[in-house]
Amino acid sequence: MHSATGRYVGLLYVAPALAFVLVFTAYPLAQMVWMSLHNWSLIAQKKYIAFGNFTKAWYDPQFWTSLNFTLKYTLLITPILMIGGYLIALLTAENTPLRQITRSVVFLPVVIGLGASSLLWYWLFSYDFGLVNRALLDLGIIDKPVLWFGADADVALWAVIVSIVWKVLGFGTILFVAAMHAVPRDVSEAAMVDGAGFWQRVRHITFPLTARTILLVTLISVIGSLLAFDQFYIMTAGQPRNMTATSVFLIYLNSFPYLKLGYGAALSLILAGIILICTVLQMLLSRRSHA
Amino acid sequence: MRLQIWRTCRAALAGLLATVALPAMAEDLQMWERSGGNAGMVDALVAAWNDKNPDRKINLTYIPHTEMVPKIAQAIASGEVPDLMGMDLIYGPQFEAAGQLVDITDKVKDWPELKTASPGHMAVSTYEGRIYGVPLYADVSALFYNKDLFRKAGLDPNKPPTSLAEIREYADKITALGGDVKGYFLPGSCAGCNIFTVAPLIWASGGTVEPKDAGDEPLKGDGVKEVLQWARDMIKAGNVHEDARAETGETFHLRFGSGKVGMMGTGNFNITLSREQNPGMDFGIALLPGMKSGQVSSFAGGDIVTIPNGSKRVDDAVDFMKFLLSDETQVEVYAKMLNMTTRGDMAENKYFQAEPLVQDVAKAIAVANTPYTLKFFELINSPQGPWLQMLQRAYYEDTDLDTIISEAKAQMKAIAAE
Repeated sequence: MHSATGRYVGLLYVAPALAFVLVFTAYPLAQMVWMSLHNWSLIAQKKYIAFGNFTKAWYDPQFWTSLNFTLKYTLLITPILMIGGYLIALLTAENTPLRQITRSVVFLPVVIGLGASSLLWYWLFSYDFGLVNRALLDLGIIDKPVLWFGADADVALWAVIVSIVWKVLGFGTILFVAAMHAVPRDVSEAAMVDGAGFWQRVRHITFPLTARTILLVTLISVIGSLLAFDQFYIMTAGQPRNMTATSVFLIYLNSFPYLKLGYGAALSLILAGIILICTVLQMLLSRRSHA
Repeated sequence: MRLQIWRTCRAALAGLLATVALPAMAEDLQMWERSGGNAGMVDALVAAWNDKNPDRKINLTYIPHTEMVPKIAQAIASGEVPDLMGMDLIYGPQFEAAGQLVDITDKVKDWPELKTASPGHMAVSTYEGRIYGVPLYADVSALFYNKDLFRKAGLDPNKPPTSLAEIREYADKITALGGDVKGYFLPGSCAGCNIFTVAPLIWASGGTVEPKDAGDEPLKGDGVKEVLQWARDMIKAGNVHEDARAETGETFHLRFGSGKVGMMGTGNFNITLSREQNPGMDFGIALLPGMKSGQVSSFAGGDIVTIPNGSKRVDDAVDFMKFLLSDETQVEVYAKMLNMTTRGDMAENKYFQAEPLVQDVAKAIAVANTPYTLKFFELINSPQGPWLQMLQRAYYEDTDLDTIISEAKAQMKAIAAE
């Protein structure tokens, strides 16, 4: 009887958190699953179609184009952010005034909104007025301006990658610096006494002891890249020919301008499933490496 | 002392009640209108109404044009609707078919003004014989040509091209002037710009674009392939600026006024805009031609004003519609700003008579089309839709045009059938 009372008291303690999760996560998710089983328009009557939206996605060429593009973007940008962030963290880990200022400067773009940052870079890459073309022309790297958006999907992709690396690199850097500061100093000092050089210490001490943070940052970067939308909506508008429309762009397009909430919900569930698989795989890899 | 405190409290209470009561007594009509349209015209109409109706003013809010359809749909779904909505006229049928607009037939059917209102606007404001809106403003597309560049290229500035072949011939000569001057402009990433200015070339050449309904065939007629081939050849010949490929519509209205384009399809709004942008430029207006001389067409666009279901001020909203169609508004607001009148019988007025260019562009109304379909955005206006994809492939690739057209047809038919 005492343990039953204890259970009820425990439930009471978790009730507020449980209510929050039910209202803001479980219910909307259930609603989205229900919507995905319907032809659900914002302005017309909805119609139950079972798994019709999922079948439609399977046969929709744009779904595969968007998914492939999103995966390509993720595979390209993630190593750049990881390696770039880690190298800058190594460079600025020590707490000297200059290194602290450098870390702050690198981190500054992180606090700018993604929409504002994308608009800024859209105009920096402008064919007629952009500073990027101007600089490249003046340096003699190109002999005529580059059409960054609207012509070649790969050129547009790299322009977006440049803008996002500028904006987001500082976030990983700060997390890596914090992880490096947590590495016990005596381990590094002992290695130095034994004659280990900088890169040897990084390889055998710093890198293994910051592995958890590396995994966390990789996970955040992968999830963020799979959910990319703002930068492509603003900078490329999916052009040319929808080849730079990411998966979330496709979800937005179908849900709102095309008013097909049901199909958008189905696409969202598919993307959520893919992200879940990627997350589980990464967790398993991490456990294996620790074992 | 006590009396003083009581008097102060009484005054404060009266002030508080007045602050609460005043907004309730003088509640404005809420009107939404899309951005990227003829904002100057709509501002002037609302200002004219507010002058005459100080007790029921209109509070106008602009919605980004790319967000207009979902914004209105969300408002209707949530019940938070404005009293009046200006919308791109081609979306009228979609909302009418979904039963989201107030049927005003019984309130307006005896209005004499409706007999001469723009046929294109009234067609898309009508669904199954019932009326849901009236014209807000009218735009028509036409061929604007730079007479200064014509003269420099040795062309007669009083003889605009009358066929696509002539446009090509003249464009080659203007492009040969060099510098940053090109003979023509074709927007590469703007679906709406192309339906406004390239679709008329197809219509004039005997082709069609959108399917009317699920059973109808889109992109019919030889004119479709002929015009796409013409456009592809124009771009390959270097007659179009390279950055036109990235034109999403944001700067489309500024291209002609730059003075660097010999000819381009654009709208009547560019008369005033080009004069503001480039006061010294001498330009003329002709009708958009087809493959053969004598074939002409235009796109009759603009906005309609409607009343969403849930509006609490239907009678006031209908009064605004009557105001828009009144003789005085047609002349002293529309015509005075050199905008198209929305009633054909008001085109003969003192302002247009003093401005030959407006008379030239007004001729386009007689040959203009307004597409009627329930899925215009997804089929045509969406930057991700089959219309723009087809054009981009035609303009910038070497893929066989028959393949491009048949794939676009299949996509359009699939959308129409949903």
